[in-house]
Formats: sequence, structure tokens, C-alpha cells
Amino acid sequence: MANESTRVNAAGLFSGRGWHDQDHVPGIKSELLELNMGPQHPATHGVLRLLLQTDGEIVYKVTPVLGYLHRCAEKIAEGVNYKQWVVYTDRFDYLAPMCCNHAYVTAVEKLMGQEVPERAEHIRVAVSELSRIASHLIALATFGLDMGAWTPLLYCFREREEILNLLERISGGRMLYNYMIPGGVRYDVPNDNWVADVLDFVDLMEHNKLPEYNTLLTYNKIFIERTADVGIIDAATAVDYGCTGPVLRGSGVDFDCRRDDPYSVYHKFDWQVQVGRGEMGAVGDCWDRYIVRAREIEQSCRIIRQALQQLPEGSYQALALKAIVKVPAGAAYTRVESAKGELGHYIISDGGQTAFRNKVRSPSFCNLQVVEKVGVGQMVSDLVALVGSLDIVLGEIDR
Amino acid sequence: MSTHATPPEGYDVSREHMLDFKVEEQLLQVVETDAKNFILTTVDEVFNWARLSSVWPVTFGLACCAIEMMATSATRYDIDRFGAGAFRATPRQADLMIVSGTVTAKMATRLKLIYDQMPEPKWVIAMGSCAIGGGPYFKYGYHVVKGVDFIVPVDVYVPGCPPRPEVLLDGLMRLQDKIRGRKGRFITPKWVTDYAKLIPYRK
Amino acid sequence: MEQNAIYELLAGALGDGALGYNEHALEPWADVAPAKVVEACRFLRDDPRLGFNQLMCLSALDWDGLDEAGKGKSTAILGYTDDGQPETSDRVGTGDLGVAYHLYSHALRHKFTLRLRVARDVAAVPTVSGVWTTAAWHEREAWDLMGITFTGHADLRRMLLDDAWVGHPLRKDYVMPDNWNGVPLQGQAYSANPFPVETGGPDQPAGDKPAEG
Repeated sequence: MANESTRVNAAGLFSGRGWHDQDHVPGIKSELLELNMGPQHPATHGVLRLLLQTDGEIVYKVTPVLGYLHRCAEKIAEGVNYKQWVVYTDRFDYLAPMCCNHAYVTAVEKLMGQEVPERAEHIRVAVSELSRIASHLIALATFGLDMGAWTPLLYCFREREEILNLLERISGGRMLYNYMIPGGVRYDVPNDNWVADVLDFVDLMEHNKLPEYNTLLTYNKIFIERTADVGIIDAATAVDYGCTGPVLRGSGVDFDCRRDDPYSVYHKFDWQVQVGRGEMGAVGDCWDRYIVRAREIEQSCRIIRQALQQLPEGSYQALALKAIVKVPAGAAYTRVESAKGELGHYIISDGGQTAFRNKVRSPSFCNLQVVEKVGVGQMVSDLVALVGSLDIVLGEIDR
Repeated sequence: MSTHATPPEGYDVSREHMLDFKVEEQLLQVVETDAKNFILTTVDEVFNWARLSSVWPVTFGLACCAIEMMATSATRYDIDRFGAGAFRATPRQADLMIVSGTVTAKMATRLKLIYDQMPEPKWVIAMGSCAIGGGPYFKYGYHVVKGVDFIVPVDVYVPGCPPRPEVLLDGLMRLQDKIRGRKGRFITPKWVTDYAKLIPYRK
Repeated sequence: MEQNAIYELLAGALGDGALGYNEHALEPWADVAPAKVVEACRFLRDDPRLGFNQLMCLSALDWDGLDEAGKGKSTAILGYTDDGQPETSDRVGTGDLGVAYHLYSHALRHKFTLRLRVARDVAAVPTVSGVWTTAAWHEREAWDLMGITFTGHADLRRMLLDDAWVGHPLRKDYVMPDNWNGVPLQGQAYSANPFPVETGGPDQPAGDKPAEG
């Protein structure tokens, strides 16, 4: 490690005997402090609750307590039909609902053996990537907010509103869309110059706005001090704890479902997977996870540009909009790269109109588990940085 | 005003939104004319005016609606224009709880605790269909409270799934109307506290 | 590597622990004996020809209504009525519970699915959280929602629901609760008013009363 900081030294103390067992000053016995963080807390990104044991300012043990937003989605999947459940997928990752729609309809189509028109796939990719940009913008904004920078939030929300406008024009919904259905998408591209407007937006985003964020936040000295060499997740830990998405790539593992386990039409486009390289500190620190997201925005812009420039003519629905979806008996596990990581659906069908079982493997759920290991030995304020850099969304963790 | 080509004589369009509210109008006259240095009003009215002009919400995001609440406070919509932009992290400094999202059984006890920690006077906005009545989780939601008004009294219901920021702003203005019309001391009515006692707030 | 070849390697290592291979399904899977699942997972992870270093997903399953081959019709699950009251039924669930493991290898880029079945009343499976740490939370969730005990798990508490919750909601015969710890979970018909109308105190202004009906 290039520059070993005090935090790393503190982490090293916990390798052997507990820090609290030792008498640091003769005659003075230090005790562990139980600290409750959340569920109503501005830095836990929703209703996450962390039970901390701290020794002074240093975290000795982290226990996440989940379930404050458990909305019974998997039970509901057994009660409503396949098309109705698209509505609930929106509400998993409400920051990138299009990616969740995409994951679910991909799974249903695999079970049905349903072919999807090329045009629909291009539209799906474009809106999913727009959604991913919107989600990453929130991630940047709230991460900055956790680090004490309020201004990036205002900048990021400004661009996010533009994306929501574009998505509202194609789907009719501002934030939650219910846009994709098995066999295609609900509506075609509107003929009010939508494609040109999206292309304008991605140009603006890539060439004007991203440099602005970099000036404002990415290479800000205070921000680097707060995030570099903090919350280091090494590659082996990331894989063992099932981390995916920007968290896995931030740890230096070059893996992305869109490239390595291809679905939809991602194989047609030219783009690059971004990985953390430890530019500001160790590989896998908070800054690496941040910069992976920032660079993925750029790559998403490239994908959107290609998807819409190559948008083929033809139908956008293979099935009629009102057709009842019937799925033959069987089971399939499908995963796609959502904004937070691999979003998997394991659907078992008994041949009826509702799923027999629909298990959702949500990326935030698996990503969060790593704080139990990496959070130990951090300062409490660095734990906020770690949780912020994981970019969790509680709707997806608790489902 | 689009139906009238010209406003009637003596009708000041710029003050149209204030006509129902005397304190602001009188204050405006004091400032503009510099002639009168006092205004006549009632204590109720001036207190209500002060209260509705700085409704501070507690930072209490629950689910999807919380993102729209953030959007309402962010760049384009800017809830600060209505005096409600100072989101407080602690309930003890807040006047308003925007219940933005699904209330689950586990969260309901916490929500009640936070509501009880807020000082009087306090108001609640139920934002979104989940907070109003369970929303899409009504039928199979074994862990979802079917409406936050089972837990705390609600002043304004803002429908939508999630409501657009414009609707939340409208709900806030309806709440301000409600504050403006209140008389007497701000004590939670007995029927509300009696009802709320039925629910324990900690295990 | 092809799925058949993976299964042959696994069957060779497990012996009679490998119960069968369903190769004609959309996604082939291998059935293993519950007692041998840790051995199977450790082999799949450590064998250099397989190298399954990622547990993608661990799903708990309730086979109530479907037979061994996955044929049959499931019964409708219970919910709340339109009035918000829990639906009741005398039906007791039958059929096994199960667990499915979806594995992936980053190095070799192949997937594999393991499944096992356990009896409903004695649902206990050895934990694989020693093989992949990510399984720890998945298994806690499976215990919470489906009621499958994972023996050897270091911290088998409920994941999403409260520790005092009764029942396991994802089982097919689960009856919805009407309250938990005093928090009402039943709903009310849309016509009903949750607040009493008559008891308005002196401080309640006239326009503040809830509407009747």
C-alpha cells in the first residue's frame, strides 16, 4: 500500500485480540459503546438500520438490520399475473426502474421462448441505459451529500430531471414506468423528435456535464481525502460476498453481465467495461467505486447513441398489448446488469397465469453484506462513506 | 386571467394570490406606502402566518416517494420557495412529517416514535398511495400497514404512485391553507390522541 | 464446460449423494442429497476444472401442489379480502420444501444449478455459508420467509421480518396476520372512516373535522 493511513493501522488492531480487551492507559478500561444508526437517518439511504459497536470513534462491529421496507413482493408474485407484476419490479430499484423491468421481462421471455423484435430490444437498451445514468447521478449526488458536499446534488438532480422528462415522453410515467411487457415494450418511440432529443442529451451529458462533475467533486481534494484508501474491498472479498456491479468492478474485477453474459442486444455495441485501478489509493476503495460509476455514465452515453442511431424499423411488440401471458411449466434463472449490479430472477412456472415462485436476487442485498467485514476498524464517519459508496437502495434489499 | 383581455378597474393582478390573506397585504402596504407603521391583526392570524411560512419537514424518506420528495426539494421544483425547504434530521426541530412511501409493520413503531418526538404544533402529509391506503400492496402485503392514518393522524393526503413534485407542492399549499384557517391554541384534538393511544410505539 | 460434463464430474465426486440430473429442462439442474450439499458445493468451488467462485442466488422453494417432476397445479395463495380482512382456510400445506443454488464461474464463464428437497416438517439443510460467505444472508432470508433451518449457520436470525414474527410468509398455506405487536395490518373498506366523527374536541376547528361516510 502506497500511503498507509491511520485508519488502516486501526483496522490491523482487530486482527488478533479485541481492542476493547486491552488496557491502553494503565488503570483505565475502555468499553464498547452500542450505537444505533437508523432507520431514520440522513446518511443511510433510506430505512437501513445499522447497529454499531464502537470503541471510541472506531467501529468494532457492524450489524445491519433490514426489513423496514419489506413489501412482500415475492409473495405478491404468486398472486398476480405475469404482466401485473411488472408494476412491482418498478418499485424494487426505484432509481433505475427500467433496468428492473428489463430483468423481469427477460426472465419471462426466456421461459416462454418468446422472440422479441429487434426494435423493441434497441428501445429497451436505450431506456435502460438512460435509467442507469439517472441512478448513477443519484449515487454521485448522495455520495457527495454524505461527504458534506451539497452542491453536486443540485447539479445531478438538474440532469436527472432531463432524463425523467425524456422517459416520461416515451412511457407516460415520470419516475416509475411499467414500460416493458413480455414480448416488447408498451409504446413505440414517440414521433415528436424523441430520438434526436435523447442524442442531444447524451452529447451534452458526455461532453459538458461530466467534466463539470469532475471539477466539482471527483478531483476535489477534500473529497479525495474522505474517500481514497477508505473502505477497501479487495477482489477476493468482493467475489466471496457476492458483490456485483460497480462494487465488484471497483475492486478491480473485470466483469460485467452486459459483456460477459450477454443478453438483449448489448453484443452489437462498442463500449468498455470500467474497473477500479486504485488511482487515488488502494484498489477497491470508496473513490474507485465512485469513479467506476462516473465513468459508466460515459459508457452508457455511448451505448445509447449506438442503440438509437442503429434503431431498426419494424414492430415494437411481438404480442398484442392485451394478450394474456401464458408461460409453460418450467424454471429459469436470468440475470441482467442493473444499475446496482446483477439483478436476477428465478421464476418457476406451473403453466398457469401466475408464477409458482419468483425469487429475486437483488444486487444491493448482496452488496450490503460486505459492510459486516469491511466496516470493522473504520471510523464511524468512514462507515458513512463506505455505505454511501455501495450505493444501496432499500426497496431492492428488502423487496 | 386568460379570459379577460384587460383586468377590471382597480384590480391588482400581481396581488391576486394574496387576496385571501390580510396580514401579507397589510405588510405590503406598509412597505410600499411607508405611510402606516402599524397593522391591525389578530394574534391567531399573525402566528398562523409565521407558522405556515416556515413549515420545516423532518428528513423521513421511506421508499420510492422519498426520491420524489428529494426532487421536490432539489433544483427544478425547489420547495424552499414555500418555506418548507429546511429538512431537519431530527424530529425535535421539525413541524411536518411527509410520510413518503410504504409504511411496514416494522417501520410503523419507529414512525410513531418519531411523530411523538416532534413538538406541537405538527402536521402530517401522507404522500403516495402506499401511505394513504396500502396502495399496490393491499392484497398480499402481510407486512404493510394499509394506510398511515392507522398510526398517526394525517392532515393532507397526496395521491399518486409516486406523486409528481407539483402535486406534493400542491399538498403543501393545501396544508398552508389549513394552518391559515386554524383558530385557538395548537393542541392535538382529544379524539386524535385517544385514537393514537390504541397503538403502542415500542416493543 | 457443458452442463452434462459438469454433472458427470459432480456425480463422480459425490457418489450416491447425486440423486439425478434433469437434462431436458430449459435450464438443466442436478438434484443432490441434503446431507451432501456442502461436499458438493466445496467440490464445485475448488475443482480447477469447475471453479464456481460465485454463488449467484440461493432460493428457498415451497413445492406445495406440485409433484416431484414439477407437474400439477398450485392452489391460490391467501391474501386479504377487499374489506382488508385476512382470508382464512383450513388447508394445511403438503409437499416438500426445497433450496436451489445457482452457481457461476468468473474464470471459466459457465453456470450450474443445484437443487435439493427436504421434508416440510423437518426442513433442515446444512449451511453453505462456509463455502461462499454470501450464502449467509441468503440463508437467513430463506429461514425467515420459508422456514428452512440451516444447520451450522453462525447467526440464523430472521432477516427481514421482526424476531417476534409468527410464521413463514412465503409458504403456500400462510395466513395473513391481522396485526403485529399492536400495529394493525388489516385494511379497511374504502367507504369506512378510520377516525370517529362524534368526539371532536373543543380545539378542533369546524373545517378540520373528517368527512362522514
